[in-house]
Amino acid sequence: MTTTQAPATHAPPGTRRRGSLEPYLYLLPHAALFFMFTVYPIGYGLYISLHRWDLLNNTQTFVGTEFFRNLFTSGTPQFEFFWRTLWNTTFFTLVSVPLLVAAALGLAALLHRPIFGRTFFRAVFFMPGILTVSVMGILWRWMFDNQIGLVNAARDLMTGAPPIAWLSTEGLAWVPIVVGTIWWTVGFNMTLYLAAMSNIPHSLYEAAALDGATGTQQFRFITWPMLTPITLFVVITTALASFQLFGQSLVITNGGPTRSTQSVIQYITEEGFTNSQISSAAAMGFVFGLMMLVLTAAQFRLMARDVQSAEEK
Amino acid sequence: MNRLARSLSLALLLAGTATAQKVSLTYLHGFTGPDRPVMEALIKKFNDTHPNIEVRGQAQPWGTTWQQLPALVASGRAPDVVVINEDQITGFIARGALTPLTAPEMKTAGLDKNKFFGPLFKTADYKGQSYGVPISSVAYVMFYNKDLMRKVGLDPNKPPRTRAEFLRAAQLCTVDKSGKNATQAGFDPKNLDTWGVSLYNNWVGARAAYAAILQNGGAMTDRNQNAAFNSPQAVSAVQFLVDLVQKHGVARPNATEEAELAAFSQGKVCMFPSGQWYLDRFESQKMNFGVTFMPRVGGSVRDAAWGGSSHLTLPRQPASYSAAKRRAALEFMAWMAQPEQNLAWTATGSLPTQAAVAGNPRFETAAISGIFDRLNNVYATSGFPWVGQVMGPFDAAWEAAYLGKKPVAKALNDGVAEANKQIEQARKNFR
Repeated sequence: MTTTQAPATHAPPGTRRRGSLEPYLYLLPHAALFFMFTVYPIGYGLYISLHRWDLLNNTQTFVGTEFFRNLFTSGTPQFEFFWRTLWNTTFFTLVSVPLLVAAALGLAALLHRPIFGRTFFRAVFFMPGILTVSVMGILWRWMFDNQIGLVNAARDLMTGAPPIAWLSTEGLAWVPIVVGTIWWTVGFNMTLYLAAMSNIPHSLYEAAALDGATGTQQFRFITWPMLTPITLFVVITTALASFQLFGQSLVITNGGPTRSTQSVIQYITEEGFTNSQISSAAAMGFVFGLMMLVLTAAQFRLMARDVQSAEEK
Repeated sequence: MNRLARSLSLALLLAGTATAQKVSLTYLHGFTGPDRPVMEALIKKFNDTHPNIEVRGQAQPWGTTWQQLPALVASGRAPDVVVINEDQITGFIARGALTPLTAPEMKTAGLDKNKFFGPLFKTADYKGQSYGVPISSVAYVMFYNKDLMRKVGLDPNKPPRTRAEFLRAAQLCTVDKSGKNATQAGFDPKNLDTWGVSLYNNWVGARAAYAAILQNGGAMTDRNQNAAFNSPQAVSAVQFLVDLVQKHGVARPNATEEAELAAFSQGKVCMFPSGQWYLDRFESQKMNFGVTFMPRVGGSVRDAAWGGSSHLTLPRQPASYSAAKRRAALEFMAWMAQPEQNLAWTATGSLPTQAAVAGNPRFETAAISGIFDRLNNVYATSGFPWVGQVMGPFDAAWEAAYLGKKPVAKALNDGVAEANKQIEQARKNFR
């Protein structure tokens, strides 16, 4: 009886619907947007990078990998500036990511505790993030101005030391950019850490306290390991955001002095829109994008292992 | 009945011709700031006085236009009239986005290029043909503090014109905290109270060097449109400016535009060369200042200052484009460039585009009229299709020289080498 009643349920799931359009219809809206705004532009960008592309020309000459080769041929401006600005950006990332993660973690650890004015301080640290990059940039440019900046004025007041030419000294020009970026974005990471911290079961700390663990030990053996997944997320997103450095150095130093703080995105923009070399800029965009992919994948693999081992503990 | 039919058909005919004659033009411009209402009032005035033409203005940021124009032209949907700025115009001409204004067309429309300031009109010329009519203009000028000048014994009504006068004024104005100026023994350049002149590192600051090079008979590019701002004339002109910092100590090293602007506003700097767009700011501060043309710091070959400008242009249109539209567009351009309209436009802070406007009594007591005797010597960065490739390295060269990171000749040579490599590549786009 039963066997005759339910033959359909014995069929492998989905068989009945083979050939049905329904699931694809559900996918269609997203797929359409995905193709229109992601796949097609990437494909067209690749086409542009392989041609000497100018809308006003009747013929878009096919040049193959010329613009890619420029990036690997010593002596071309593209070779010189692409790698130099890529190094600038990498330097910024190497300096700012550890600071941004550490500062966010430190602030979160402080503001997680029930201290007086906790909500107020959380807001204070989160607030700068809502500013646009131009407002933030102008603010920090003024703060670090060689002559009229608040930082030099404070130095003068406290130590009487002569002003430092922050904005026009290579190396030092990074200080306002890094400090400004931390001030601007640390609140976001802090919020992520705060959320993660409130998810750690309180019983762990109670047990540790009973065993006589100090605050430092509790942080070292409970908080930090439990935060590993969120740290992975924070490090990867912060590193990617740092590699996309653009507005801060554009507004604060305009890439100067002598291109020492110019970011790779800023250079790609310059090549595309100031020099009207769209194809060359497209090629750079692909090379840079590929690097970001590889970097993210590597970071993921490396840290996923940590997350796994942390979860196994 | 017959009469009725006849008058009816006559009325229809009239209506028909009236609508056929009414030409509608699209007009794209980048005046999106406080200048927008002025432009819109002018468009309205044109429409009110020209029943056969209707201009529909559209304001959008300049950068958007530079990015969209190629696509609009390529697809045959370009606006009828587009305003293009001096640093973009030659690039668009060389890429074939614009059409030349022929001599007969200009004559019919009543456009006489001789009435405009020569270099300003030439900004939109390329290979012997005109592509645009100037309607707006800004320029590098030199603001000076009259009180400070008087204090050190200079005549505030006779601002410096030559290199020698300029250097002397700068030295007298540079006073250290013990009251000694830069010409006196015991002068301490490390402890200054007031500075002679403002120089600084960004692109605006680099425009002083641009003027100096032209003044000395140099140029940004050579006959083949390659970068050439490292000629002996250019090196000597820029060296003089760098010496003001490094040798004479009359200009601050490591200065930023903001710091110099603040210093001039606070009466700490005698002479502040910069864009005429700061006029409003100093006027509202009730400063006792004057405005003069950039003195001949670079040399004595000619007067020169950098200027920017906006030009009315006619983009390339599909073959089916109506001749009536082009005629109407030219009529609109000619009308917009007339002295009356240009005078109205100067309310936005623009300089006059022609002598007839500069001579208007309205300017008699205006501070800005201090530069009007030499408005015919304002030169844009134009005439070569790769302004970005030339001016970017030039600005960087100025920065390196001014900050003392490189000797002047090396800075300019490096800049030219970089620019020419970029130009070599850009050239391939124009085959």
